Amino acid sequence: MEKQTFAEDCQEIVSELTQKGVSRRDMLRAALAIGIAPAALTAGSRTAMAQARKEVVLVNFGGVAMKAFDEAFVQPFAQHGGRIVLDGSGALNGKILTMVKSGHVTWDICDAGITTLAELGPQNALEKIDYSIVDKSKLLTEFAYEEGVVNYMFSTVMAWDTSKIKEEPTLADFFDLKKYPGRRMMRKDSQAMLEMALLADGVPMDKLYPLDVKRAFDKIGTIKKDILFWNSGSESQSLMRDGECVMGLLWHTRANVLRSETNDRINYTFKNGLLQPGLWVVPKGNPAGKEAFTAIASMQQPEGQVKLLAAMGNGPANPAAQSLVPAELRAMNPASPANAAVQAKIDANWYKANHSKTFQAYLDFISS
Amino acid sequence: MTALVETARLPFARRLRSHPATRYWLMTAPAVLLMLVFYVYPIGRVLWMSITIPEPGLDNYTLLATSASIQKMLWTTARISILTTLVTLVLAYIVSYALVHATPHVQRWMFLGVVIPLWISVLVRAFSWFILLRREGLINTALLTAGIIDTPLSLMWNEVGVMIGMVHFMLPFGILPIYANMRDIDRRCIAAARGLGARPFEAFWRIFFPLSLPGVVGASILVFIFSLGFFVTPALLGGGKTLMVAEYIKVQILEVVRWGVGTMLATMLLVVIGVLLAVVSRVVNLRKLFGAG
Repeated sequence: MEKQTFAEDCQEIVSELTQKGVSRRDMLRAALAIGIAPAALTAGSRTAMAQARKEVVLVNFGGVAMKAFDEAFVQPFAQHGGRIVLDGSGALNGKILTMVKSGHVTWDICDAGITTLAELGPQNALEKIDYSIVDKSKLLTEFAYEEGVVNYMFSTVMAWDTSKIKEEPTLADFFDLKKYPGRRMMRKDSQAMLEMALLADGVPMDKLYPLDVKRAFDKIGTIKKDILFWNSGSESQSLMRDGECVMGLLWHTRANVLRSETNDRINYTFKNGLLQPGLWVVPKGNPAGKEAFTAIASMQQPEGQVKLLAAMGNGPANPAAQSLVPAELRAMNPASPANAAVQAKIDANWYKANHSKTFQAYLDFISS
Repeated sequence: MTALVETARLPFARRLRSHPATRYWLMTAPAVLLMLVFYVYPIGRVLWMSITIPEPGLDNYTLLATSASIQKMLWTTARISILTTLVTLVLAYIVSYALVHATPHVQRWMFLGVVIPLWISVLVRAFSWFILLRREGLINTALLTAGIIDTPLSLMWNEVGVMIGMVHFMLPFGILPIYANMRDIDRRCIAAARGLGARPFEAFWRIFFPLSLPGVVGASILVFIFSLGFFVTPALLGGGKTLMVAEYIKVQILEVVRWGVGTMLATMLLVVIGVLLAVVSRVVNLRKLFGAG
């Protein structure tokens, strides 16, 4: 199974949840409406305004993210005379780099993450974010990077099966097979897994970076033969649901779905989780130029971000959005002040310098 | 007038007639062109990248000798592919033997059983194995309730699971070439051996088995080559712990964007498969193996 990024998994969750009601044809129609209707409209009434402003192509991972992004981002931007066109083909690192290297860039904004920043930044494949247009006061500055800017927040959390583990376990218990026997589950990616191994080993949250990779491997090594490694979000969900694993580290969005679909048999906690930003990145030489940053700035509006939380579970990046979050969504919002306070935060600088070799070492380690 | 036109056209027409090969070349030209543009050129680019990224030279290839990560992964790939091939061959041989000796009516049903899995997506099959093999799956539940075992067997999330899934996928590719070969064996040879006093097993081992070897060699190469490129089954049934070359290449190309390393491994895979085919073409008729004539 393809290894997934967080962004890719988000759309899949929603599509699984809504599939009963939404047919493939509906989705296609929605995609057509999003992609083609704006173009048709502007062809009909070509105002000087529309002429002057370029179309911004935003790439996400398709499916139901198309509808959610349309409501949260595309429509509000259109009200201010801008045009975002969604492309659901998924911006993997290799694809972005292919475009930039061949000199034929058709994407303006990509729904990406820290690893895109870490791998493509050094290859000089990303535009610098223009912070004279994108407003730093509408985000947590620690997630505003030179070549990428936060679009939403997500977390890696610990979930457990309450039918086998009665009281709430600590992260240290995750590595204690004597206390709680049974299989564990981790992601087939070093990101967040190393951090959580170190937290479990007693490293304080604010002293995580630079990561002591060897210590993390040693910690994981103590239970390695009892760990299953998941590739895709849906895999992590089914492994917990089917009772293959009693504890697992997974994305909070999947943990949310698990909790509701198992009637609380699977529970999870944000405590000692890792808060990570999803990022907008702009490929070098993007066709819409600066208009891409105008679009990003428009997507900083708190209302749209709350809509995305309701639709897909992604936490708002704009701190001002927190007060708009309805009470029933607060507990599952990874970026809410209460949840953010008990989590560690990822450090992109460390990833820039170390991701490639650490990820490879992790793959080698778990397959040995 | 007509004669004039005839003579003017003659040289070309004669050339065509005197060199049928030219005519065939012309007829296949569109296909050849298509292959050159969409197949040979991109593959050429891949080879080129493997010696130019990140710097011109053979640095990527020296990794084969120096990188423990790549060596371990290649060894895993080779080990699983060889074991899969061996197990597949044994099972395929038994099935083929039964197929050849079955009545036409039974044969039809058996063929259906062999071919139907070919039409089912590899993903669906991996998930079916998941239902059978997992800790609380059908096999473990049945064995536990029957009291044969006390603790569930580890049938998946390891190399055992990967092998089960791969062997199942490969069986038709093993059975079909072996069956095709066995069908062509003259049964009278066995009858003659028996008539000359050979016991049944002796007749099989000294007459039938040697005659069926070309099919076995062909099947083994087919299965081994397919196994080398396996991606979905190891990733799903291996519990994330079985890293084979296809997945390794994918990581290099799409995630850590070390294109030089990825293309180098792709090139090596191509070379290994090419060499294997070249060696085997000396033993068996490849055209026949792949379905021609």
